[in-house]
Amino acid sequence: MEKNGSSVNLSAPQPEQELLLPQVSGLRDLWRQLRTNSLALWGLGLLSIFFFIAAAGLILTEGRQPIMDPEKVRLVDTLKPPLTKANESVLAPEDRPLFGIYLLGTDKLGRDVLARMLQGAHVSLLVGFISVGISVVLGIVLGALAGYSGYYVDSIIMRVVDIMLCFPSFFLILTVVALLPPSIWNIMIVIGLTSWPPIARFVRAEFLALKKQDFVVAAEALGLSKLKIMFVHMVPNAIAPVLVTATIEVASAILTESSLSFLGFGVPPPAASWGNILSDGKEFIFDAPWLFIASGTAILLTVLAFNLFGEGLREALNPRLRER
Amino acid sequence: MSGAIAKRILIILPAVVLAILVQSYFWVPNYDHQTRGNPQRLTQYISASIGDVAIINPILNADSASSEICEKIFDGLIDRDENLKLRGRLATDWKIYEEVYFVVNDDPVWISKGLSTPEAVKEAIERAASSPQPENSFLRNIDHLDILPPCTEERVVSEQEANEQGGEGKEIKIKVSIRYPARIKATLREVNQDFFTQLEPLLGSGYFNQKRLSPYLAIDPPVYDTPERRTAYLSQYLPVVEHNPVIIFNLRRGVRFSDGHEFDADDVRFTYESIMDPANRSPRIPDFEPVKTLEVLDKYRVKITYKRLFQPAITAWGIGILPEHLLNKESLAREARGKNLDPAEFTMRQSDFNKLRPIGTGPFTFVEWRSDQYIKLVRNENYWEGAPHYREFIWRVIPDMLTQELEFYAGATDHYEARVHQVNRLKKDSRFQNFSGLSFSYTYIGYNLRRELFQDKRVRKALTMAINIPDIIQYVLYGEGEATTGPFLKQTEFYNHEVKPLPYDPDGALQLLREAGWERDEQGFLRKGGKYFEFSIITNNGNPYREAILIIAQNAWKKLGMKVSADRVEWSVFLEKHINVGNFDAVVLGWSMGIEPDLYQIWHSSQSGNYQLNFVGYNNPQADDLILKIRQEYDEKKQIEYCHKLHEIIYDDQPYTFLYVGRWTALLDKKIAILERDDQGREIIKRITPTKTGNYSFYFNKWIKFPQDPVFSTGFE
Amino acid sequence: MFSFWAKSLVEKLITLFFISIISFSVVMLAPGDPSEIDPLNPKFTQEDIQRLRKAFDLDKPLPVQYYLFYKKLFTNELRSYKDNQPVLKKITERFLNSLPLFLVGTLLTWCLAFPLGIQAALRRQSLFDRSTTFFSYFFISLPSFFLAYVLIIFIVKVFNVPVIGLQTFGRESVSWWYLINDRIWHLVLPSVLSAIGGIAILSRYVRSQMLEVIEQDYVRTALAKGLPPDTVYYKHALRNALLPFVTMFGLTLPGLIGGSVIIESIFSWPGMGRLGYDAILARDYPLILSLNFIAACLVLVGTFISDLLYMVVDPRISLISESKG
Repeated sequence: MEKNGSSVNLSAPQPEQELLLPQVSGLRDLWRQLRTNSLALWGLGLLSIFFFIAAAGLILTEGRQPIMDPEKVRLVDTLKPPLTKANESVLAPEDRPLFGIYLLGTDKLGRDVLARMLQGAHVSLLVGFISVGISVVLGIVLGALAGYSGYYVDSIIMRVVDIMLCFPSFFLILTVVALLPPSIWNIMIVIGLTSWPPIARFVRAEFLALKKQDFVVAAEALGLSKLKIMFVHMVPNAIAPVLVTATIEVASAILTESSLSFLGFGVPPPAASWGNILSDGKEFIFDAPWLFIASGTAILLTVLAFNLFGEGLREALNPRLRER
Repeated sequence: MSGAIAKRILIILPAVVLAILVQSYFWVPNYDHQTRGNPQRLTQYISASIGDVAIINPILNADSASSEICEKIFDGLIDRDENLKLRGRLATDWKIYEEVYFVVNDDPVWISKGLSTPEAVKEAIERAASSPQPENSFLRNIDHLDILPPCTEERVVSEQEANEQGGEGKEIKIKVSIRYPARIKATLREVNQDFFTQLEPLLGSGYFNQKRLSPYLAIDPPVYDTPERRTAYLSQYLPVVEHNPVIIFNLRRGVRFSDGHEFDADDVRFTYESIMDPANRSPRIPDFEPVKTLEVLDKYRVKITYKRLFQPAITAWGIGILPEHLLNKESLAREARGKNLDPAEFTMRQSDFNKLRPIGTGPFTFVEWRSDQYIKLVRNENYWEGAPHYREFIWRVIPDMLTQELEFYAGATDHYEARVHQVNRLKKDSRFQNFSGLSFSYTYIGYNLRRELFQDKRVRKALTMAINIPDIIQYVLYGEGEATTGPFLKQTEFYNHEVKPLPYDPDGALQLLREAGWERDEQGFLRKGGKYFEFSIITNNGNPYREAILIIAQNAWKKLGMKVSADRVEWSVFLEKHINVGNFDAVVLGWSMGIEPDLYQIWHSSQSGNYQLNFVGYNNPQADDLILKIRQEYDEKKQIEYCHKLHEIIYDDQPYTFLYVGRWTALLDKKIAILERDDQGREIIKRITPTKTGNYSFYFNKWIKFPQDPVFSTGFE
Repeated sequence: MFSFWAKSLVEKLITLFFISIISFSVVMLAPGDPSEIDPLNPKFTQEDIQRLRKAFDLDKPLPVQYYLFYKKLFTNELRSYKDNQPVLKKITERFLNSLPLFLVGTLLTWCLAFPLGIQAALRRQSLFDRSTTFFSYFFISLPSFFLAYVLIIFIVKVFNVPVIGLQTFGRESVSWWYLINDRIWHLVLPSVLSAIGGIAILSRYVRSQMLEVIEQDYVRTALAKGLPPDTVYYKHALRNALLPFVTMFGLTLPGLIGGSVIIESIFSWPGMGRLGYDAILARDYPLILSLNFIAACLVLVGTFISDLLYMVVDPRISLISESKG
């Protein structure tokens, strides 16, 4: 079992065909199914909170004069525990934190941990969504091509998938990220480029089944262009398993980013990400445990939310699982 | 397989696996029971370090980790005692005196005065020495006078010819022929840097005339005979007066290297020659460059003559002495042949001595070195000062500070350097004993004095007064530091405690700036003749303290109305593109220092070129003079006096904003104490106490570890 | 049967070839010259760099570099940039250190995941099932380094016991009993940490497999017939539910490198993952290349083993149809 944040995949080692069974049953149906699944509801609830926090964080911490400045250094207030009041006798009014209190304490440079966590929220979100976006696009295009075209296009693409799956993805990502100049975009691209094969596999499997269905045969008979058939008619019908995988991949992308940050190859400072708050905090584990507890808990809850929601989605979309 | 068995296996197997894992806890040592299963633990001292050792050879190493290990394996001739005074190690004692030379002036003027022959001059000096006049009292320092008859010498000098582009051109060879006129050599009982200035009135003003010696020097081929070269060669090869301080070391008898070979004067000579051998590329060459000759007088005596007055030179002899018999030409050639390498190209640097079998006379001997893991030493049972109590000295490489901390808490290392934010917590921890002291370094903000902006002393003072140094110490260093006002070590007597620091006073700073012509405009920016007070301050990245200071200074100066940009630069770029080429305005940096009060490299105006250490371009003739005097003064009292004056001058000039000296805190396992024996041979257990300078491991060889917290002998708690 | 076997092998070898190209180009095409090992070292002259470039064939075209690299790797001539030790020797040494960690971790994973998963399936919707489900998701989502530090603080603060490294330092002269237990103790934390995620995932698989099987007709029939439930569940059902996991065994191999980077860094465990991390930090190209390549090889070996096991377990499954999807 490899568990390093890169390959958390709960699909059982079942033959792929099983995942072909669900057909998209409309959003309302999906919602009805989700509503009965407590895990998914928990996940959704956590996710909404998380999105809200990320959005709030973006508003509060961005701009030239942010309401909460994550980069404001206050050396008079270094390594203060949570709920400490700011040192008002020394700090100029514009340097004080919101409400004059450090809700989550401060780090080694006296930066407000809450502000940094808020800023990190949308960084994590960004990493998760963009890298998964890249892998979803790649996965759909390649999977669709492989599934629809068949023959040698299929063999080539599937061979590439096999090769990609051979590399322990975390070590490969670590290698590439470490050799590239530090940048958040590089991390997203590398994670995206290494995580598309499972999606491509699902899409291909869906396409193999869809290809034989009436509407595709009809569209072909009508002489529609292959691209149009593939991406306009077939992809929407094959999106369900992609959605599930993508949700879970967001979770693992966030974990991967935090692992990279932890090893010192993550989002470059001064931008805050939960991973590098945790990584900075590890040195102060005995002196300022709130640094890594706050960031670690945040990562845990977010990843948990995505995983629960993804699992709920899977159950909602899979009638056989639904029965249990 | 029946279902019930399968069910049972499914429960028992995990239970057994978990039980095996958990029970192991009871067999593992912990902090309070470090000897569990391993009584040997008490005889080991385990220390941890961030970086690995580079090379175990006292003359080749250049990093602190390597020198720490070398100190255990090798002994120097001397070292410093608890009060930082020099103390004999492989040398039992030493004598310092001086030999001075001067050329007898045979110009017509002096013929008439009867001082143109060496015999006459000698007689004149001897006559004056026996006269009671007080101004001639310095002559009583003369032990004896010798006459050196004229002689000739030829030298071949190679130089790089400068080409038009300023780069290095081809190498040229120049033949220099010197005809030495008659000279007089005086042997002085004590070093006197003013000897010639005091002697000149006796012989007559202008007696020591360097220029007139020009005809005694011939340069061949004549194309290269330029006036600059001639002047340089004259002062180098034919100085009219010359100070040659001499040290004679008496060596300790009966000391043996750990392989049994006896240590003697040849090993000292060999160590010196190895350092000076260019093939070895020793980083210690600058320390020994002032040595003119080293003579072995007999098996236990060496005489070292120096080219010029340089008081700190003696401290170089703290360097570990190498065993000649293992590293001389024949041994190295043998080793090279054994490795199928060309003996002609095989140097000491390639020898296995530095990695696999270093041998010295020190308290510990080498056992093994696993790179990136540990170095293990075992005590030298025949150490001349008595073997240490600890049987093993183990030096672990633990790059991660947190791991070091964890290992210390678990009793797997005996020593931990607390970081500043931990000091408060760990000092209170009753399981450990703690020591602290000032470090041998200071942190400062340096100003590029070549910049017009910083040329006014008042401006520099204002910059300093704007910075709240006590606050920096309290908040950046968590109180673990002290303010400093000068370039000398605060622990030494060279530091002038009379110098009062400038106060933190932003209003006073503004006042000073106003005097210097800087007025605030409507927006609050400082301006002078339409120009803003605008500059940048940089430091290297990766040092959190310097980065914090960078930001504090920037904010403080911004409040005065200056436009300050701050930047952190990667270390190699920082050196290459900024510091070494003088391309910066202000810089946050630190110096770490030796104990000697020699400020030549950092503060003398001759050292302010590119790639030199006086990169701020400090230039004060008065300071230059004092810097030279300090390094030439062998009388400590006078030296201290000069240092105090110099300290005052530099602080008044404020080329730096002197910030602080850091304070280190080290933690030791409380079970370690000092074990000594009194006259009757009874054991006395003493608490470890630091020396005056904070060095707690000074008596390391007497340390011992007990299974529990020790009970101290009465009077030594 | 043999032809499947051979075919699978050939396929794997072709994949291996492409893997070797990719892992080589990934590192070589990255910006930054590998010869700039120590720009800070003033004694590192231009000639030294040239010599190094020559020694590592950096002056030759990439395809030649590729050829020479793998030739040297297989003939054990390839040496690390950092300390000039043969790469294979270093990797073997570290591999042997990683092995106990991997074995104990795997043992823990498989030992604990099965009872948990089976119980959860048998007591569906019970409190036990719900809590294992919750904790599975919890541990899957928990960053391992976070948990590692929580455990480390707890153990070190409360018990003052060494937890870092392969064993307590400086205990060469200890009797074998203490030595073995000391080693075991040092295995506890890292192996539990590396197992915990695996247990969470695997127990979910086991649960769903078991659920599937016990709803099969033959199980219902057996229960209806009045056979003791233990016999039905643990004998008949379990055997059928176990089949797919046989093949997963081979797939755990790659965890030796990829999964261990973080845990080994935290615990200063001188294993493969830590070696890889240090190599990346030092830009030790020969080592990075070899490790990526060997890691991919391990995956291939793993899949090959699982293919073989699949055949052994269920000869009806043909590898060809499997790989064609």
